[in-house]
Amino acid sequence: MPAAHFTAATAANRALGGGYFVLELEAAEDTPVGAAQPGHFVMLRGEWGRDLLNPRAFSVLAAPSARRFAILGKIHGRGTARLGALRVGERVAVTGPLGRPFLSPRPGTTQLLIAGGVGLPPLHMQARVAAAAGLHTAVELLYGGRSAQDLVLLDQARDFGVRLHLATEDGSVGHRGFITGPLLARLDRAREAAESVELLACGPTPMLAAVRRIALDRDIPAQLCLEENMACGFGVCLGCAVPVHGPRPYAYCCTDGPVFDAREVRWP
Amino acid sequence: MSAREPALSLAPDAVDLAVDFAGQPLKSPLLAASGCFAYGQQFAEFCDLGRLGGLVTKGISPLPRHGNPAPRICETAAGMLNSIGLENVGVDAFLADKLPFLRGLGVAVWVNFFGTDFETYVDCARRLSRGDGVDALEMNISCPNITKGGIEFGTVPEVAHRLTRACVEVSARPIVVKLSPNAGDVVAMAQAVAEAGAAGVSVINTITGMAIDVRSRRPRLATTYGGLSGPAIKPIALRMVHQIARALPHLPISGIGGVMSGEDALEFLMAGATTVQVGTALFAEPGAIHRITQELRDLLAELGIPSARAAIGVLQPLPAEAPIRPR
Repeated sequence: MPAAHFTAATAANRALGGGYFVLELEAAEDTPVGAAQPGHFVMLRGEWGRDLLNPRAFSVLAAPSARRFAILGKIHGRGTARLGALRVGERVAVTGPLGRPFLSPRPGTTQLLIAGGVGLPPLHMQARVAAAAGLHTAVELLYGGRSAQDLVLLDQARDFGVRLHLATEDGSVGHRGFITGPLLARLDRAREAAESVELLACGPTPMLAAVRRIALDRDIPAQLCLEENMACGFGVCLGCAVPVHGPRPYAYCCTDGPVFDAREVRWP
Repeated sequence: MSAREPALSLAPDAVDLAVDFAGQPLKSPLLAASGCFAYGQQFAEFCDLGRLGGLVTKGISPLPRHGNPAPRICETAAGMLNSIGLENVGVDAFLADKLPFLRGLGVAVWVNFFGTDFETYVDCARRLSRGDGVDALEMNISCPNITKGGIEFGTVPEVAHRLTRACVEVSARPIVVKLSPNAGDVVAMAQAVAEAGAAGVSVINTITGMAIDVRSRRPRLATTYGGLSGPAIKPIALRMVHQIARALPHLPISGIGGVMSGEDALEFLMAGATTVQVGTALFAEPGAIHRITQELRDLLAELGIPSARAAIGVLQPLPAEAPIRPR
C-alpha cells in the first residue's frame, strides 16, 4: 500500500486512565491511512522543533474515514507525554500507512487475537474488521494487562460481538495472571474439539516470546506484531533490525513487519 | 559583500541555487546524506527526487554486510545515536539493482563506499567509479561502527593520505573523502587527503557517543557506542567546516551535521561549504530537503544574496573592540 507524509490536526484526544489515551487525527483531505488494515502503523511527530527528533510509531486503532484515524497511546516517555497532551486543533506530522498488516481470517480457522497492554490496537482493529464483515465468530480476543486499568476500550470490543478472554496480573479483572493462562486453556479446548486455530499477537516482548513458544511447541500458526526502535518507519534508517531465520540474519520491523510469522523470528 | 551593507531583498525566483562542486554542476547545494537515504527508492512515494541537488547512497562495501544486532538506534537530546553496522547490499548488487534507479533521477549521484582493509577500499573505488551514472564517490574513512581495523584510516593523516592516493589512482570519478570528527586534527586530515588527490571533503560524519538506560543498567545500543547525529552536532560540524575552509580555501567542502532548515544550510555555506547534506531530518520528514531548499531560496532572497554561490564562505569577522586607553 502506498504511504504518504502529511499534516493532520488533532480532532480528539481522550484520556482513558492509567496513562492510556486515544488520539484522533484528521487531515484536510483524504489520505491513504484511511485504507489502513490491522497491523499497519503510522509515524507521528508533533511540532517539536529540534527536540524529540524522531517520530513515534503507533499501530492504527481505527480509520473511520479517509481523512480520519485513531491511535491508542500510553504515556511512557517525553514523546508519548506530548502526544497524550495534544489539544484539539494542534498539528501532527504523519507518515503512513506503513508495514505489512495481519492476514485476514480464513474460513474454518478461528483467529485467537492475543493483546497485551498497549499492544491492543491492531487486534482491536482486526476484531472490528472481522465483525464488520460478519466474521465475529471467527475471532476471539484475549486481552491481558497488569490491572483493570490496563484493559481499555472493552466496551467497543464487546460491541464487536467477539468472545473476550481477559486476564490481569493482580486479578482485578478476569483470570489472575498472564494472558497465556486463558490462551493455554483455550488451545486445550480447541485440541479436544479438533478446531483449527491461529494466533495473532501484539504486546510486550516477554508476552510475544511466550506466545511464540506455545505456537512452536503446539505447531500452531502464529503472527506476531513486533516493536523496535525506529527513526523513519519506511526502510531507510535500518534501525529496526529483527533477528530472523533464513538467508539474512536481520529483517526490518518497519518494512518486512511489523507482523512476522512466529517461525521466522530468531529468538532464544 | 560587506556584512554591514544594507541588502536589498530579491524575488525568491531570482535566486540561483546552482553550485559547482569540484567542477561538477549541481542544481542546488542540498544533497541527501549517506545512510539517511538508503538507495533512494523509498523516497519516491513521498517527494520528487529530481528536485534534489544530489544524493549520497548508503555506504557500499565489496561484499554485502548484515549490520549489528538491535537496538541499533536511540534518540538523544536534539539528536540520535545509531549503530547500524554499515549494513549494505555490496558492490555487485548495488551496481545491478540499485544504481539504475538512481541514474534516471537527473541529480548528482555520489556513491559512499568503504572497505574493511586497504585492498578492499581500492577494489571498491575501482568498481563503483565505473558504474554508469555515478558522478562521484564519497569515501567513508570515518565510520565509528566498524571494529575490524580501519580506525587509523580516519584518524591518522599519513594513513588517510596513502589510502586516498591509492583510491584516487584507480577511480574513474572524483573522490570526496568523508572526514571523522573523532580525528584529533580535522584540518590535518583534510590537508592530507587533499594532497593525495581528493576532489573535496565531506565534513562531518557522526560523533562517537553513548547513552545508558539507568533502570536496566544497560547501554541503549547493542554495540554500546554509536554515532551521534542531528542538530546536537551542528555547532561542531560548522566549526570544522570553517576551520578547513580557512586553512584550505580551494578545497570544496560538503557540510553535514544537523541541518533542519534553510538557515542551517546557509550557515554551512557561509562557513565555507559548497554543498550541504541533509541527513537525520529525512527520517521524520521524507520531504525535508524540498522544504529546506525553499527556505534557503527565500532566505537568500530576503538577505539580497543573488545565488547560493555568492553565499559560500562570506562569513565576516566580528568588528574589533576599540583598544583600552588610559583616561
